[in-house]
Amino acid sequence: MKRTSKTYFFIVAITLFVSAAAQTAFAQVADPGAPGPLAVTREEYNFGDTAFTPGDFPGPVELHASIHYPTNLAGGPFPVIVFLHGRHATCFRGGTALLQWPCTSNNSQPIPSFQGYDYVAEVLASHGYVVVSISANGINALDNLVFDLGAEARAELIQKHLDILKTFDTTGGAPFGNKFVGKFDLTRVGTMGHSRGGEGVVRHQGLNNQLGAPYGIKAVFPLAPVDFNRFVVNNAALNVLLPYCDGDVNDLQGVHFYDDARYNVPGDQSPKHYELVMGANHNFYNTVWSPSSPFPGSANDWTAFVPGGRSDSHCGAGKESQRLTEAQQRGTGIAYMTAFFRAYVGGETQFLPLLTGDAPPPASAQTNNLFVSYHAPDNPELRLDVNRLLDNTNLTVNRLGGAATQTALTPYELCGGDDPQAPRCLPDQPDTRQPHTTPSARSPLRGLSQLNTGWNNLTGDYKNDIPITASDVAGFQALQFRVAVNFADVRNLAGLAQNFRVVLTDSSGSTASLRVSDVSSALFFPPGSVGPVPKIVLNTVRIPLSAFGGVNLHDVRSVEFTFNEQAQGAVLVTDIAFASAPR
Amino acid sequence: MKRSLVNRSVAIAMVLLSVLLASSLAALAQQNKNTANKGLPMRELIKLPGKLVSEAKTAQQSGELKLTGYRVEEVQLPRNIRAEVRGQQVVVDRAWRVTITGGPFPVRAMPAVIWIDDQIVGYGVENETLTQITAITLDNSLLREGGVISLSYGENKEARVQLPQRIQLKREGENQ
Repeated sequence: MKRTSKTYFFIVAITLFVSAAAQTAFAQVADPGAPGPLAVTREEYNFGDTAFTPGDFPGPVELHASIHYPTNLAGGPFPVIVFLHGRHATCFRGGTALLQWPCTSNNSQPIPSFQGYDYVAEVLASHGYVVVSISANGINALDNLVFDLGAEARAELIQKHLDILKTFDTTGGAPFGNKFVGKFDLTRVGTMGHSRGGEGVVRHQGLNNQLGAPYGIKAVFPLAPVDFNRFVVNNAALNVLLPYCDGDVNDLQGVHFYDDARYNVPGDQSPKHYELVMGANHNFYNTVWSPSSPFPGSANDWTAFVPGGRSDSHCGAGKESQRLTEAQQRGTGIAYMTAFFRAYVGGETQFLPLLTGDAPPPASAQTNNLFVSYHAPDNPELRLDVNRLLDNTNLTVNRLGGAATQTALTPYELCGGDDPQAPRCLPDQPDTRQPHTTPSARSPLRGLSQLNTGWNNLTGDYKNDIPITASDVAGFQALQFRVAVNFADVRNLAGLAQNFRVVLTDSSGSTASLRVSDVSSALFFPPGSVGPVPKIVLNTVRIPLSAFGGVNLHDVRSVEFTFNEQAQGAVLVTDIAFASAPR
Repeated sequence: MKRSLVNRSVAIAMVLLSVLLASSLAALAQQNKNTANKGLPMRELIKLPGKLVSEAKTAQQSGELKLTGYRVEEVQLPRNIRAEVRGQQVVVDRAWRVTITGGPFPVRAMPAVIWIDDQIVGYGVENETLTQITAITLDNSLLREGGVISLSYGENKEARVQLPQRIQLKREGENQ
């Protein structure tokens, strides 16, 4: 008995030690979402409900926005962040929501969707940012009449507001006079768009480039976005936030923004990120769209739009539900929007570990139940792709020219990408449960190419050899890959997390291995059972190289996944790389 | 010799027919992305006067979207339009407007999609009071007697909400 206790404590101690070693690189960082030191003033400008007509758009729209800025402007010019809301009812009369523009029915008034992100704007402005939130009701009223469902019009509206800000910054103008002259740094601009606004900010980054890049768009943040047209952000930092319980954009199609941007432009020096926020829905990120709002048209989209959604174990309304409250959900918005914009627009690089997943969510996020994915810039000092898993060649030869081999894996195939791959990785599941491969309304492009594999006993193994020419990986921070548990494969037991080992081997044959569960909970079994859940979203597992003790990191010869932790299972994998945080 | 030539011709014709049929079906699956919405003045089409082809309504609301009925109208286009219908480039002079009534319908990021049976009629446009959603098609073969009209948000077949009434096409000469 005594001996058993000693053994037990020894095992626990070793486990804690290994765990601590793996976590050593996971630094604690300051909370970017904590209110800053500066007092903030909020004002609005409004040039009228029909002041602007985007090209090829069937009607005029408003030029109306709010500005949050540091009350003491002496420290300017300040970087500029632009917010754009998504599609929602535009007007209301009494308790009735309407879709018209301008609000012409008797006594009808606009629904101020653009005010729904004031809670983030307040925090950013208190840290020295100017935050402009644009009203786009006029676009919402008519965007279903145009083929691209409003993406181009939204992009043009953003550009128009940037032109207005330029006027305020250079010559000044009504209603602010000279107050903002010299106070806006339009070479450092970030954009956040929610829902259809998310596709709007992506399209805008391209439009601004087409116009000769008059504004310096440094960072683009689509929040619960649609991606109907498959525009791509390159050469600007990208962060997509994906709410697991999104009841509106319930296929999480916005993950295409990340997937499509990864290898799209050789030499793209911009990092890409996404957060999968468990328990979050679509509407709570906008206070005006949330049930606590006094405006008609607000809703808890999961329960309102998903038939039977109330009964879902994760996203529903029962006692066991993991749903975030409005305040908790906005916490995740505050944490990751502020981290992203402060890092990539403001140059506050201390927040990068939050965006790479090297640091846990900050206190402002109000939850730890989220998963951060990161794709490093295409820079040989920051990323060495081991296997991109893009086409069938990569099943036998990896990106480095080394052999890719498997033992006792079945299937061992790619899915989700271009022909001849199967368009869906889970052929019997609806598209809403497979965001990476969900079709796009206005584009024929296919989805993410993934390795679809599984094992039936403890001998399963997947190995990528590394040629000597690429074997010095000591300069990288981590080995990383994206992975998800295939909930549709019966070898995964419902509700139970999966696990496997990651093994590095050097030229002398020395090895070091870690269980994925030592560093990440990404191998969770996707929760839920109603409508669009469970769903497959691949999450990044990022293992600090410092955790692989005893291996010569200057001469690593293979990266191996050994499936000997669980007797059987099935996973989807992509993007195996050595990588570091941006500099 | 002559007979073998005939056989070969028949075989070639069969192969060509199969290819044609396959490509037509593929094009049909894509028709919504290629027909009424693209390059056509949807706003105009929504407002043009139409001839009632089929209609049903009831006071009883159906499902979570509180559907009450539908209306199909034939719309004479102000000019001929070249468009792709079922994968073929054709010149058309008429469109068909399918309207579902009920609601109030939510204003969502995902577009409303109107279906007849398993075919997409088109992406829907809400009216101002959110009591109607209308889609337009240039393909009248979708309008099948007894066809089932349904509504989804996004092209999500599994989440379609069906109208209880089936399409009943009016015959020429009936009151409209």
